[in-house]
Amino acid sequence: MARSLSNLLVRGVTGLHAAHSLRTVVSGSLYQHGMRYSTTDDSGSHEDFRPTTKVVNSGLSTKDIVEQDVKENPVMIYMKGIPEAPQCGFSSLAVRVLKQYNVPLSARNILEDLELKNAVKAFSHWPTFPQIFIKGEFIGGSDIILNMHQSGELKEKLKDISVDN
Amino acid sequence: MASRGVNALASRASRIKHKLQSALEASVLEVEDVSYQHAGHAAVKGSTNETHFNVKIVSPKFRGQSLVKRHRMVYDLLSEELQSGLHALSIVAKTPQEAGGS
Repeated sequence: MARSLSNLLVRGVTGLHAAHSLRTVVSGSLYQHGMRYSTTDDSGSHEDFRPTTKVVNSGLSTKDIVEQDVKENPVMIYMKGIPEAPQCGFSSLAVRVLKQYNVPLSARNILEDLELKNAVKAFSHWPTFPQIFIKGEFIGGSDIILNMHQSGELKEKLKDISVDN
Repeated sequence: MASRGVNALASRASRIKHKLQSALEASVLEVEDVSYQHAGHAAVKGSTNETHFNVKIVSPKFRGQSLVKRHRMVYDLLSEELQSGLHALSIVAKTPQEAGGS
């Protein structure tokens, strides 16, 4: 099940939060790892029958998307490349640190979308990537996440987030 | 405020030093150009020049500030550089106490 869903992700389809009816996608995709995509709620509408449009314009601005990303995903990283294939040493480091914890990791590749990249920078008032948000709070870049990992602060921050969330 | 023109001729490393030194009253300020380490990675194609720096600062102004705040202070001071080709900074920002100094 997880494999076919991750294939869907690769093809640019999102909308895997069953609880939300409409999901806007920027030209990149939202990658979700370790997350249970389907709820146990059997409302009768199977994901295979959901329209597979790549970009759904629901009137959300990129800023809205960023706000939604950080609100809905307990651990959100804006990075260069994707978690399986980072395209920058700092992004790679941040992913490696976060993967040491048993938490779901959601990511967007800001190299794919300049508008998204600018929106994230404006949102966090931070000029570089990667950028990590935990429970909606901007945490910092790779230096900071590594530092927090070494000091035990990161473990503290992530302790009530589990893969089942 | 004067000599902006002169600053523009200097290297980015020296501009970074200049911008951080006085504003942060740094007792230790090390600026290292490590752009060569990132040569060829995405979005730096065509220019490995003065794009990535390591910066180490010891400053009393960091006292009581979280890491995020300290880094923001540095980024704010370097916003012009960040808009003109400075791509990434590795920042070590400590107070004199944390650095084990006097």
